[in-house]
Amino acid sequence: MSNDLPTFLLIAAFMGAVMLLMPHLSPSRYFFAITVTPNFRSTAAGRASLRRYYAAVVCSVIITAVLIVRLGRGWPNLTLVLPLGPTILGGLAFLWERRQVAAQAPPVYAIREAELSTEDDHLPRWIALMLLPFAFPLAAAQWLRARWNEIPQRVPTHWDIHNQVDNWADKSAHTVYGPVLYAGGMMLIMILLTLAMFYGSRRGRQRTAVVKMMVATIYFLALLLSGVALMPLMPNSSALIWVPAVLFPVVLLVWVYKVMSDPEMPAETTPDECWYLGNFYVNAQDPAIFVQKRVGFGYTINMGNRLGWLIMVGFLAAIAALIFVLPQ
Amino acid sequence: MGAPPKIRIDLNSQVPAYRQIVDALRVLLVDGSLEPGSDLPSIRRLAMELGIHFNTVGEAYRTLAEEGWLDLRHGRGAKVIARGSPGTASAERLQDFRAQLRNLVAQMRAAGVPRTRIASELRSLMEGLNS
Repeated sequence: MSNDLPTFLLIAAFMGAVMLLMPHLSPSRYFFAITVTPNFRSTAAGRASLRRYYAAVVCSVIITAVLIVRLGRGWPNLTLVLPLGPTILGGLAFLWERRQVAAQAPPVYAIREAELSTEDDHLPRWIALMLLPFAFPLAAAQWLRARWNEIPQRVPTHWDIHNQVDNWADKSAHTVYGPVLYAGGMMLIMILLTLAMFYGSRRGRQRTAVVKMMVATIYFLALLLSGVALMPLMPNSSALIWVPAVLFPVVLLVWVYKVMSDPEMPAETTPDECWYLGNFYVNAQDPAIFVQKRVGFGYTINMGNRLGWLIMVGFLAAIAALIFVLPQ
Repeated sequence: MGAPPKIRIDLNSQVPAYRQIVDALRVLLVDGSLEPGSDLPSIRRLAMELGIHFNTVGEAYRTLAEEGWLDLRHGRGAKVIARGSPGTASAERLQDFRAQLRNLVAQMRAAGVPRTRIASELRSLMEGLNS
């Protein structure tokens, strides 16, 4: 376990860095998920909130690091969850500051604008690009079929934090083609989710940006899982999986930060009182099934809408089906 | 072809949302931004974009239909119709409008809008009506 300490410390530091970015991953009209005037961040109250929040996140990283070092050897299982410390403690600090901002921020207009257009909502043509990555798992499946005899009798099914295989399974159609089927299933779920999000949300520039992100994620999943499927034939090439697995979230984070920092990017107006814990939107009066998040990028489900619940349950059931039906 | 007109509502306003929609649409109808024959978005579409209940938009459309501005077609949204000239407003109605106008001007003054600016806004509104 002592060899894992630097990795766990690194994960805790990364979690802390993400938490430090949180107040900045919002449109300027939202501060700690509360509607504020555009210049509220630069007021004394706004700056004080940020300072307190940064201090709390830094403290949470230090506390987590101390706990990992102290408890790492005696409580290996505990060490697995400890890197989440900055997320949990930072999240609590976020909620505390949210209350402070709600109490201090002056009231603002909550203007919502609608174009009186009768044009139907059309998906962009480039959305067809979502179908192209199905070629990757299909090609991987074809490759595995062609080289079936070269596949060893035991195939790796899981890797540990040091990139070493820690779980194997006997060679069978189920175990060999499992990752390919998983890729297809995940991609299909992502496509359905993208369509539901597109038609269940208000028109706007951010909606298009989120669809682009979903398309990129489908490509990433297709490449990653097709690579995993080919691992029995290339057991020493796991870097092909780990490198994109690390690189994609980083590139995505940078892109999201760039999009969120664009002052021209409109932010959807939703009532403050319908947001719970800054992340959960419950508004039975709002017909939108998906609404723009106030923290981070993308959309979240309107839990006041029955269709929203149906989509969420369907999504979770589909993921569970993939996990339990396909080989582990 | 120009961009379609827009309406705005304030979700925090004390004025009911349906009343805000009626007022905003009536402004567009009076100034000719919405001409007879133009289609309005369906109730479902407009409710979605404004983030309010379907019934609220439906009530707004019905109010305007009762005033003679819209023809509501079941399941197909609403169409702007040519509205015949209404009879002259009664003295009480004119008194009510005057009170509303005075109230609005007082609100603008209280919010710090200078007299000259209020006068120019009123002039520009009148020019719009005369053109």
